[in-house]
Amino acid sequence: MGIELNRRNFLSAAVSAAGLVAMGPLLSACGGGGPSRAGVNSESALKAVLPTYVPNTSIKPDIPSIAGGPDVLTDPGFLGYPTNRVATVSGVPGKGGKYSAVTPLWGTIPPADNSFYQAMNKALGVELEMKPADGNNYNTIIPTMTAAKKLPDWINLPGWWNPQFNTGGLVGNQLADLTPYLSGDNVKKYPNLAAIPTAAWRAGAWGDKLYGIPSFSTGFKVAGVVFYRRDVLEAKGITADQVKSADDLMKLGKELTDAKAGVWAFDDVYRYIYTSFGAPLKWKVDNGKLIHVFETSEFLDAADWHRKLALAGYVHPDALAGDNAGSNTRFYAGKTLIGGGGQGAWNLADLQSGQAANPNYRRGAFNFFAADGKSTPRVDMGQSTDIVSYLNINLKPEQIEECLAVANYLAAPFGSAEYTMVNFGVEGTHFTMKDGVPTPTEAGMKEVQAKTYPFLAAPPSVVNNPTGDIVTKDLTAWQAANLKALAKPVFWGMNVSMPQAQATAEAAQPVEDTLKDVIHGKKSIQDLKDAVANWKSSGGGDRLIQWMNDNVLQKFGTGQ
Amino acid sequence: MTSIRADRAGRPARLSWRIRLRRDRSLILMTLPAVVLLLVFNYVPLFGLATAFQEYDPLAGVWQSTWAGLYQFERLLSDSLFWGALKNTLWLSFVQLILFFPVPIALALLLNTVLSERIRNFIQSVVYLPHFFSWVLAVTIFQQMLGGAGALNQFLRGNDIGTWDIMTNPDTFALLVTSQVIWKEAGWGIIVFLAALAAINTDLYEAAAADGAGRWRRLWHITLPGLRSVIVLMLVLRLGNALSVGFEQFLIQRNAVGHDTAEVLDTFSFYYGIATGDYSYGAAAGLFKSVISLLLIWGANKLAHAFGEDGLYRK
Repeated sequence: MGIELNRRNFLSAAVSAAGLVAMGPLLSACGGGGPSRAGVNSESALKAVLPTYVPNTSIKPDIPSIAGGPDVLTDPGFLGYPTNRVATVSGVPGKGGKYSAVTPLWGTIPPADNSFYQAMNKALGVELEMKPADGNNYNTIIPTMTAAKKLPDWINLPGWWNPQFNTGGLVGNQLADLTPYLSGDNVKKYPNLAAIPTAAWRAGAWGDKLYGIPSFSTGFKVAGVVFYRRDVLEAKGITADQVKSADDLMKLGKELTDAKAGVWAFDDVYRYIYTSFGAPLKWKVDNGKLIHVFETSEFLDAADWHRKLALAGYVHPDALAGDNAGSNTRFYAGKTLIGGGGQGAWNLADLQSGQAANPNYRRGAFNFFAADGKSTPRVDMGQSTDIVSYLNINLKPEQIEECLAVANYLAAPFGSAEYTMVNFGVEGTHFTMKDGVPTPTEAGMKEVQAKTYPFLAAPPSVVNNPTGDIVTKDLTAWQAANLKALAKPVFWGMNVSMPQAQATAEAAQPVEDTLKDVIHGKKSIQDLKDAVANWKSSGGGDRLIQWMNDNVLQKFGTGQ
Repeated sequence: MTSIRADRAGRPARLSWRIRLRRDRSLILMTLPAVVLLLVFNYVPLFGLATAFQEYDPLAGVWQSTWAGLYQFERLLSDSLFWGALKNTLWLSFVQLILFFPVPIALALLLNTVLSERIRNFIQSVVYLPHFFSWVLAVTIFQQMLGGAGALNQFLRGNDIGTWDIMTNPDTFALLVTSQVIWKEAGWGIIVFLAALAAINTDLYEAAAADGAGRWRRLWHITLPGLRSVIVLMLVLRLGNALSVGFEQFLIQRNAVGHDTAEVLDTFSFYYGIATGDYSYGAAAGLFKSVISLLLIWGANKLAHAFGEDGLYRK
């Protein structure tokens, strides 16, 4: 998470764009600092164009957001579904334009030209042809469009695919610059877009210009969380605040593991815990020197801790056998009691699955702690969102304005009339209210439930689990308790593109492979040290660090 | 050898292609769809091999990517991980050749001795079935049965006998994957041998029995020679595929025993090529494998011909 470094040879993008052969790899673009023309501090240049944030106050959450450090904000919580569905957009945003849109969809593709699309077109005042594509194959579908320069008018390019897509090479060549429409106070023309926090716009900013419209943004993005079975642990008298150090966690391993009964305390948790040891997410700058996580002793400490955890027999054997797919099943069945995951795992569906296995099921998360138990807990915060949509460069200015007006409708706040329309369809046709909760009808299941429009634009994330308010309360309380630990890592939200050789070194597959063996207790820390040394010398590691230093740190700073 | 020569001498004089075309027209038409499929899915993609000589960029496409000559191959040959993968592949292939290859033959012979059609069909269905499972399922079943928290180990644990590490032990990994292959594929592998067995003239058995040949003599002098050409054909194909020991099976279990043990050429291409976006490198590894495989299959076929067998085709 965090900074998704984006491998790529700028060269090829330049070739496809201009038909010219440029020499040598270039830094294609950085949000937070593109190829700076006059050595200006890109952070200040970007700040000058980022849209003004005007929070929406029309709908009050039951559990309001709490602000932490810069750009850190907990997600607001809603219990139930708002009954007073206020309208935030007056009239119809569109002027009858015709557009095509492609979004990734993880689910069954709804039938084309269905009643929901028709209702949406009517509400939006445009003819927006939705072409959702299979999310699992999205990264093979889009390159054919970009290679042929046949992108639709509106397209979603998720941030985690930057490495494949070289979005940095597409912006300005195939994707429209939205800076003139959205920068600074210009965004106020679109109040719902203005209600997206400023930081989220960085995800779609390249070379000090705004290109992307962020969906599902959040001010509380972390790489992962260490979850535990709250129902089981509390029954044993263990509460989250008792875990203040890595040692405490290790002790829980002994206390909770009962192999004979088929219960192991832990699933694989390394990825969710290594930053607690003081290791950076990926990069850190120490006295002006750029340091990669593999070079830090804290990285080795974290690996060693997990290695001991595995060797002590506190990790479920299936997890040690590399079976990650079954981790949820193990957790629900109570065969593991502590495991890692993204915050997204903490939702209504999780509660329902868990309760199906055990009616008392309750998910909890440990607070971020410092491994030594003494330092101040700190966790590197990730980019606000990975879901970003872009407009085609061939659109005329008035068409771009029309699309932005549509985006404004789509980004209407949670619980508003527009939000309800976008996410649930027409009341009576696509959903009915049951116990105060919009419940999809059969048509709604088919046509609306597969999320399409929100991938073009959506309001900031909220926590809402109708019929499972306990989840909303637990999650928001956990966020509030951990707000102070979140801090921006270096290069936060900078969207770096790098040449292939560096990108390969960045992926560091040989080190990752060895790391897996080490944390599963199959190899020694010395093996890991050797793998890192080998990566640095012959795996391109040193060249990667040098490249990042020369092309990013020295030119654009740390982004902080 | 003599028999082949005699055979060849007995062939009619070659007809002109025009006449042969007219004669075989309907046969050719019938194979056409399969040929088209083969062209589209097996030959056209060969064009992608060009990426092995490039710094391929999926965004720019094959035409626009920069050429890198043999650079990817230089990298490959100096990569110790690649040599490790090659070594593992050859070792696993060897183990499978020794332990797996004879199993379907033996199974076919055994099944052939079962007279009751009902029992035979039943056994056939049971041994065929695992072939239709995906590797994910097959490995999951193994994990559930033999894994650290599986049925066997929970039983041992429950009785304080101590546990037996089967699924994550790198030292016995070759045996583990071979037993998985036997369980999953041996039943399916017998089909071709059963067909060959059915083609053996039963008169031969009767005549041999009348001459006083026992069960083993009949097996040795009639059944096995009857199977010989098929066995050799399968062996040639197996050798040609020596560098393809499977992909999913190792992909799934790579984390269980570590990449040192489970990395084979196909997973190497995947992890160090596709997964890290280093497509050209992966393509180079794939091409290298294909060239070696071609040489192997060519060599094995030559060898078969030298022993007077048909191999892949009649010489």
